[in-house]
Amino acid sequence: MNESDDRNSDAGDDAVMAAARALPKGIAPGRDLWPAIAESLADPLADSLAEPFAEVAIAPQTGLPYWQRALGVAAAVVLLVGGSSTITWLAVSGGESAVVPQQVFEPLQLQPVSGSFGAEYELGPDFMAARGSLASQLDAKLDRLSPQARAEVEKNIAEIRASIHQIDRVLADEPDNALLQELLLSAYRDELRLMRRVDGIITSVMRREDI
Amino acid sequence: MNLLKSTALACMVVACSPSATAEDVDRRLDAPATGTVSIENTAGSVTVKGWSRSEVHVTGELGSDVDELEFERDGNVTKVQVKTRRRSGRAIATDLVIRVPQNSSVRVGGVSIDIEISDVRGAQRVSTVSGDVDSEVFEADIDVETVSGDIDLRGNKKVSRVQLNSVSGDIDVRDLAGEIEISSVSGDLVVADGRWSRVSANTTSGDMDFEGELLPNGRVDVETINGDLEVFFKGKLSAEFDIETFNGTVKNCFGPKAERTSRYAPGRELRFTEGDGSSRVTIRTLNGDLSLCKD
Repeated sequence: MNESDDRNSDAGDDAVMAAARALPKGIAPGRDLWPAIAESLADPLADSLAEPFAEVAIAPQTGLPYWQRALGVAAAVVLLVGGSSTITWLAVSGGESAVVPQQVFEPLQLQPVSGSFGAEYELGPDFMAARGSLASQLDAKLDRLSPQARAEVEKNIAEIRASIHQIDRVLADEPDNALLQELLLSAYRDELRLMRRVDGIITSVMRREDI
Repeated sequence: MNLLKSTALACMVVACSPSATAEDVDRRLDAPATGTVSIENTAGSVTVKGWSRSEVHVTGELGSDVDELEFERDGNVTKVQVKTRRRSGRAIATDLVIRVPQNSSVRVGGVSIDIEISDVRGAQRVSTVSGDVDSEVFEADIDVETVSGDIDLRGNKKVSRVQLNSVSGDIDVRDLAGEIEISSVSGDLVVADGRWSRVSANTTSGDMDFEGELLPNGRVDVETINGDLEVFFKGKLSAEFDIETFNGTVKNCFGPKAERTSRYAPGRELRFTEGDGSSRVTIRTLNGDLSLCKD
């Protein structure tokens, strides 16, 4: 009786084990992101521009409960992935004035931003270099505008940078505030987008030799 | 006496100078009915009008320091370009009226030009630094970029994809439909009387007024740092609302009131569903106030 039960039990275990072995070893994700990631990795420009976000340093957060830290880290990861994708997209789209981080340019004569991300995070040096080179390319182009148009562009870039400072200050007090993180990243993105857009307009309307 | 002679001589030299007078232009070229007309003019104005002929007709007045008007056709593209020398004088302002086949696509670029486009059914791509843009939109895509120029678009609620960017210029869009992506830094945005499946709007300090219909399964994303927002939905609305502001106020005539996000911070958030919630409305501000309502 016991022997028979054991045999039945063994047979059952074997069946379960066989069924378990037959299960797939991996599960393919619903949306395969790897081709896009691989493409980004293969692109040195995208790579160099994505890197600054990978270098964001997360300061130790002593005194916070584990779940808050986990949420903070999760939010940071979302920001980093989103941010690097945005910056990469901004940099690689519309190739005529693509960013070349290694190149040395004169800085745009505007108030710089720190690259800080509240008290917790810091945008990496490569991001700042890419941003600086974009600013200096724009600086050279702005010379070709009328003084009024140039002043208008500079005033508005300064306005975005003032917003960055403003958000950065309140984010220092509330480092885990997802809205502030979102808005700050958006302001950085707006600044780059504005520089690229103005650069694009000036390039397209002044590519002729007549100005 | 010598002074008088010198003055008279100087006047004669100026009067006889070949670049002292503006030049009228009146030229025509056959063009495909659905081709592209590319127009470049540094300063002055460009008025583009669609017509039923398969012909591009350019009239206007070239500035006295303009080198030449290049007007040629290369396959599907008809090119109109006002050329000036690199070190030309300031008198380069050129006013052009250009008739194009009404199903053409047009590209217009300039630095300080006002641009007006009407009765053109094809896609439009327009960029200017300081001039204003005024256009009529049909079913084709439109993409306008300015720095300080204002953008005014009028439509007839035919579906199109609209992309508008300014730095400090104001943007005013009426009676359009479809998808719109609109942004400025300090310019104000007005989107009125439209029927939208997708609205994406972004300003730094510019205010925004949105008044229109959101189609089922539509999406509205609005973000501003310091600008105030007035959002007014017309017609039947079914949407999930997700609103958050760090330091602004929220007035909501749908019913639910915004709640504080924290006891220690000024932020407010408002989440609710209207109807079956097939569409989605997301609004984010830092300091901007929001007024949300429906008819």
